[in-house]
Parts: sequence; structure tokens; C-alpha cells
Amino acid sequence: MSAVIEARSLTKRYGKRTAVDGIDFTIPAGRIVGLIGPNGSGKTTTLKAALGLIPFEGQLSVLGLDPRTQRDELMQDVCFIADVAILPRWLRVRDAIDFVAGVHPRFNRDKAERYIANTKLLPSMKVKEMSKGMIVQLHLALVMAIDAKLLVLDEPTLGLDIIYRKQFYQNLLEDYFDEHKTIVITTHQVEEVEHILTDLMFIRDGRIVLAASMEEIGERYVEVMVPQEKLSAANALQPIDRRTVFGKAVLLFDAGPGGASRQQLAALGETRNPSVADLFVATMKGTYA
Amino acid sequence: MSTNNGADTMKWLLRREFWEHKGSMFWAPLIVGALLVVLLGCTITYGIIAHGIPAHVTINGHTLQHPRLDALLPDETRMMVGMITRGMYLGASTPLFAILTGVVFFYCLGALYDERRDRSILFWKSLPVSDPLTVVSKAVTALIVAPAITLALAVVASLTLLSIACMVLSTQGLNLFAALLASPDLYLSPLRLAALLPVYVVWALPTVGWLMLVSSWAKSKPFMWAVGVPVVSLVVIKWINAALENFSGQTLLLAHYANDVVARILAGIVPGIWFVFQGHGPAGMRPAGNGADMSALVPQSYLSLAGFDAWIGVVLGIAMLYAAIRMRRWRDEG
Repeated sequence: MSAVIEARSLTKRYGKRTAVDGIDFTIPAGRIVGLIGPNGSGKTTTLKAALGLIPFEGQLSVLGLDPRTQRDELMQDVCFIADVAILPRWLRVRDAIDFVAGVHPRFNRDKAERYIANTKLLPSMKVKEMSKGMIVQLHLALVMAIDAKLLVLDEPTLGLDIIYRKQFYQNLLEDYFDEHKTIVITTHQVEEVEHILTDLMFIRDGRIVLAASMEEIGERYVEVMVPQEKLSAANALQPIDRRTVFGKAVLLFDAGPGGASRQQLAALGETRNPSVADLFVATMKGTYA
Repeated sequence: MSTNNGADTMKWLLRREFWEHKGSMFWAPLIVGALLVVLLGCTITYGIIAHGIPAHVTINGHTLQHPRLDALLPDETRMMVGMITRGMYLGASTPLFAILTGVVFFYCLGALYDERRDRSILFWKSLPVSDPLTVVSKAVTALIVAPAITLALAVVASLTLLSIACMVLSTQGLNLFAALLASPDLYLSPLRLAALLPVYVVWALPTVGWLMLVSSWAKSKPFMWAVGVPVVSLVVIKWINAALENFSGQTLLLAHYANDVVARILAGIVPGIWFVFQGHGPAGMRPAGNGADMSALVPQSYLSLAGFDAWIGVVLGIAMLYAAIRMRRWRDEG
């Protein structure tokens, strides 16, 4: 399977500040990758570089093309939602569909219209008359009707009601994604995407601190509810995070190579898979880097 | 797939610009044109009905009788019709062209700035539409589409006024319809206006290029930058020049051109500005015995393209548009 995005020592500096610090990663086709990191960690910069929106140093190939010099060609197969509410206020629903149908060879008008028929959007409506949720619905209708090989979503649901957010990801999974497509998502709301992701990439201070598939993460990280009397034994196994829930200590362990074994951990107490959010918090604390 | 795509994409880009600016490019001139028709139409009607046409006018020794005017005095009738036609064209098109100047100015200033301000540029850039094509579509909208719409509306307004005038005259017994339909001015005037469009494009290019460059570059207040930079540089150059003259008696060579450059950069989009740049007003615009002579406007306008001046502006305008394309391609929108 060929790589959709391949980065080798990708670097981006803004003056003296290094936003992306020589990162390497590969995203194969047919995956849904979550690029997760705090504000200013370099995740949006990485995506911008991949979309040919900014110059950068190092090597980066997207669908085999260089986004710096072959952007026009690349955009035939790549689509992105960069932020919510970036559709221009004067745009009407029917004009938006006409325009995208006119300029995009891979746009399926029927699909967009079918999707819009399921919303409260009307063909004559202008973006300025819509709520934020409706704008995202329109944007998603346009983007989902494009048969792109790579879809990049940068904080696509920022500032939306929970109902719209749930629906957004549900539509994405049910009506859009298939094995020929690749989706890269950045978001703050880890818990919302963790069930649809196939891969995770944690990024901090311009560096990738964790890149693994969800299965690998499930195998590697274990959360244990440790009773008081076994706490010192548990601490000896070097947990990467600890917190207290209802008076009980919950410890997070890296059970990968060189870490504690599953049997050791099972002896300490009740084990379960940690949520991506907990893993994220633990990773970003700096105890593991 | 991608071979005929360029032309097709351009068509949609032009349509998009029109959707966004329908208000200023179509409705504003339409409403003003309609107001002009009503106001001028009423004035003409009132003037003719209240004062009437003198029952007996003597021209060249002939006593004029309205119903047979055409037969008796073919030359005078033709002249009169020609005068009325030209008068209507000037009357209706001048205010519309004034509006066009403002519309094109602010359109260019906002063309590459508004999409950055509301971040919709990221939506446009998510589609397979290249930066050169986008910028060119905006320049074409400013240079050709907006002027062509204004031109068409000016012709419609003029023809409406003309029919009103003839109709009112006919109620007074003076029927000019036949003479009007036979008058070459009726058919040539719209063509003459249309023929001026290429001249307009040439002279407007440096201004459109400059405004769109500022539009693609300014972080905020594009108007201040677009007007401020040329005006402040002009003042500074003048000041240095004056100081130099005082001290050494020498003047900057630059100072001689500064006025022209600033005028070309900011005022190129005014229709007919080329007569001013030529250093003399258009002879045709001066009230001659038989009203403005519009037929002379076209050759005189094309004559303005003979010098280097016009083409230096074209080269600079295209260079600035190219810079705007680069700016749109690489500008980081944060």
C-alpha cells in the first residue's frame, strides 16, 4: 500500500520560532488519522504544509506530489475543511453547489443535493442567514460529494453543538469513508473522534511524540485501578500517569517493550484500555516524551 | 478533462465574482440609470410640454413646419436628431461611469483582501482552482465585466431617454422617429462606447494591478495603504525636491514624473482619463456648434495608445498582478 502522506525531516520556522521541528511520518491509504496536540504544537502547520498553503523545509510528498510545486495538480485529489464558518457570507446554497460542480471534476452533485435535502438548508439560503451548524452542514455536503483521495479536517467541529458534532462524524464515517480514502483530522475534542480513528499521532512542540495504530495503542497502554495496599508495588513499575477516581488510584502503564508486562499489571488490580483523552493528557504532561 | 477545464473554471470564477458583487456592479448602476431616466425624462417632458416647440422657427430662411420638417429640411433634422442622440448618451452615461469608477476601485481593493479577512480563501483554496486563474478572473471582472455591464446599462438608459424625448415631441406634432431610425448616430453610439472598452482596459491596468497588489498584501486597511503610499511618497518627493532646489538649485528628475505616476496608479480606472494623461482635453468633448462630437472620441482614444506611456503602464500592471498571484499563493493566513 503506497503512502498518502510521507514526511521526512519536515521543518517549518516562523522567524526564530520553530513550529514543526524536523518530523518524519507516513500515512498509508485507507486510514483515519487523528493528529492531536495542544494549541501551538504544530499540527495545523503540518497540515498547511501538506496542503501546499505554506513554504517549508525538508521533504513532504502528498499522493506522490510536492505540495509546493504541484499544488494545482494535488488539489484535484485532496480536499480540506480548514476551520468552521469559512464559507463566504454572500454565498447561496445553490450557487455553492453550482460553483463546486463547475470547477471540480470529481464532484457528485446528486450526492450533495441528497445530503442537503436531509437538512434544513434551502437552495436559496445565503450563508449569512445560517447558524454555525448549518454552515458546517453545507460545507460538509460540498466536501463529502467530492471523491477525493485525501480529506484533511482541521478542527472541523470547533464551536458546534454536540448534536451537530456527533452527526458530523457519523456522516463522515457512514457516507464518505471507504478503503480508498484517507482522512486526517485534528481536534481538541479527542473523545469525539477516538471511536472513528484507525491511527493516532500525538504532536507536541513541533515533534511527534506518539504515532501508532489504535490496535497498537490498545495492546500497549493499560490503565489499572490499584487498591491502596498495592500502590507502592504499582509505583515501582513506573506508571506514566496517575490520578484518583472516587478515592481509588488509577495508574496508566506503558506495557510495550521494556515496560511492565500484562500479567504484572493484572496482579495489581482491575485493568482496562485507557481512553485516548487520558492517554493524551498523560503524554502531554511531559512524564513521557 | 483538464484541457477544457481552464476555460470552464474561468467561466465559473467570473460568475462567482458577479454573485458576490451583483449589488455594486449591477443593481447600483441599474437603479441610478433608472433614476436618471425618470429625472431626465420628466425634465424633458416638462420642458417640451410647458414651453412647447415654437410654432414657427425659421432656419436658413425656411419657415419650419413640424410635420413636414423631415421633407423640407433633411439636413437640419438629421443634425437635430444627432444632437439629441449624443446629448442623451452623454447625459445618461456620465453619472454611470462615475459610479463605475468607485465600484471598480473598491472592488479591486477588496478582491484579494476580503477573502483573507473572512478566511473564505481557505475554502476557495480547497478547490482545484489555481491562484493565477483566480487573480486573473478578478482582474477581468474589474477591467471588462464591470465596465461592460455599465456600458450596456448606459446604452439602455440612453435609448429609453431617446424614445421618451421623441414620443413627447410627437405629441407636439414633431415626429422624429423616422429621422431617428435613419440616423447613423443611433446605431453607432453604442458601438463607439463598446469600442472604447479596449482603451479603458489598457489605461486601467496599472491602477487595477496596484489596487489588487495592495489587496493581496495589506494585513488591514487596504484603502489607507493603496492611497497613502502613493500620496505620501508624492509629498516626500515634492518636499525633497523643494529643499534641493533651495539649496543647490537642482531638482530631482523623479519629481517631474511623480505626479503622473501617482495619477496613473490611482486614477487609471476613470473612464476617459486617457485624455487627461495625453495632456489635452478631448476636442470632441468640448461643446462644439452641434454638441459633443462623439465620433471623434474613438480615434482620439486609440491615438492615446500610440505612445510608450500606455504600454509601460500595461507592463507594470501585469507585473503587479503577477506579484498579487505570488502573494495569494504563499501568504500564510494564520
